[in-house]
Amino acid sequence: MRSAVVTTVLGATFVFLLAPIVVVVISSFSAVSVLSFPPQSFTTRWYTEIDPGYYRALYVSLVVATITVVVAVMVGVPGALALARGRFPGCSTLNAICLSPLMVPALVMGVAAFQFSLVIWDQFRLTLGGTIAGLVVGHLTFAIPFVVRAVLAGHTRFDFSLEEAAQNLGANPARTFFHVTLPILRPGIVSGAIFAFLISLDEVPIALFMGGGDATTLPVKIFTAMEISFGGDILAVASVIVIVSLVLMLILDRIVGLERLFATKH
Amino acid sequence: MKPTAAPASASGPPAVRRASKEAKWVLLSLPMVVTLALVFVVPIACLIYLSFFSSTGPATVGDQPTLENYRHFFTDPFYFRILFNTFWLGATVVVCCLVIGYPTSYFLARTRSRWRGMLLFLVVAPLLVSAVVRNIGWFPILSDSGLVNWLLLKSGLVSQPLPLINNTTGVVIGLVHALLPFMILTLTTVIQRIEPDLEEAAASLGAGPVRTFAHVLLPLSLPGVIGGSLLVFTMAIAAYTTPVIMGGGRILVMSTFIGQQFRTVLDYALGATSAAVLMLLAGALSLLALRFGAQRTEMAR
Repeated sequence: MRSAVVTTVLGATFVFLLAPIVVVVISSFSAVSVLSFPPQSFTTRWYTEIDPGYYRALYVSLVVATITVVVAVMVGVPGALALARGRFPGCSTLNAICLSPLMVPALVMGVAAFQFSLVIWDQFRLTLGGTIAGLVVGHLTFAIPFVVRAVLAGHTRFDFSLEEAAQNLGANPARTFFHVTLPILRPGIVSGAIFAFLISLDEVPIALFMGGGDATTLPVKIFTAMEISFGGDILAVASVIVIVSLVLMLILDRIVGLERLFATKH
Repeated sequence: MKPTAAPASASGPPAVRRASKEAKWVLLSLPMVVTLALVFVVPIACLIYLSFFSSTGPATVGDQPTLENYRHFFTDPFYFRILFNTFWLGATVVVCCLVIGYPTSYFLARTRSRWRGMLLFLVVAPLLVSAVVRNIGWFPILSDSGLVNWLLLKSGLVSQPLPLINNTTGVVIGLVHALLPFMILTLTTVIQRIEPDLEEAAASLGAGPVRTFAHVLLPLSLPGVIGGSLLVFTMAIAAYTTPVIMGGGRILVMSTFIGQQFRTVLDYALGATSAAVLMLLAGALSLLALRFGAQRTEMAR
């Protein structure tokens, strides 16, 4: 009796958690009305009707996410090392400042970035809004803190004797860094980079206010399309995203282990 | 070969060495500091600066700094209404997440089932699927001809389809779905730290399940409950995408109001003021949440 109750409650929770994801895929094949469920008949028509704009948007998303992560790793890893090892004045303040962007709502960051692009235009006649560069600027605000935090988390168990050993064996600082320090920190860097990449691909508010025109990311394209009308092609796009996400998830699970990826604490 | 002192020891007295070593760290952190200042500090400063000017027309502001927007925001009943809606939405989402999340978390914390890893994976899996896509999935479920109404009509429980989407109900469902994993992760961690012996002791002393829960489990897991609630509340009031999509553009909370000011009304100054208020609110709440040990994973944005 008790175990039946437990099973029901758990089952209901997991059905709730997974329902929309499963339904997206099923409904994308629904022939008559994609808003009706269960579907009366099936078709693959929506997949052939996907607007080419979505492919373009996917390309923009991938480019933005890649540049963002590369920049974030390049400035974030040395920065995190400095935060972890340095004892210079203002070090702990800097630490707090580096992580504080994560507490700012993405929407606020989006409108702030938009405002920033107006100021930049006024002052320097530089176009940031509606460009890839503008999107990267907006996305760096969370990508850098992600990388920093992941590296700091990985650094807490750092065994300094390994570096000393390398130096005693005659390795110069650069060699020690690339052959000892970096490999030890790699899991942290990788998980921070993966998360920054995923959020960059998925994020709406910042890309909505900073992007537009040729610099429209995939989620923003879907978001604005939803605001106008809800159609089968949107479901087809969404369904493709679900399937690609699932495949990526399985690969991630194999390589890094999802539980560990999520276990990062503050 | 005997280990010798590092060759650097020849380069000067310790204080100088120390200073040069610290200079190296400052130099290493410089690119990050400059980048963050440029992409984060300056934009936020621009936004706050803007909030002290009043609007003089679409997308333009006056040149005299003023507190007018803030006075407006905190005295006009219209904005009270928006603030109230925002807090009400956040509170509803928190309560739903607690009620749905607690039993699952308890199970996940106590079970020794070999399915535990799999179930934890299923809890976090939705977070890895795009938020926009998850919202889309609710439409065939909650629309007038959707799954839930189909079941309700079929079983004769209702004669008219219930309005479940494009309104506040839809927004609550969407947000609970998006934020439940964070509640479950936080609660599971906290409950795991409570000794199962305590519950057994209570039970062997004659307390029923309800009493054990109320007098042992709940008080001991209270920090997690508070931390998780603060975290979920913060994310609920800061969310923009889900309230817009699931509310069908008809829900007025702080985030959708800010979006409106910048996208359609073009009252940038008022939008900036509301954004500054939301930022302060969210910042204070997430600091508080961290003190209570909320499990803020990477996807918590």
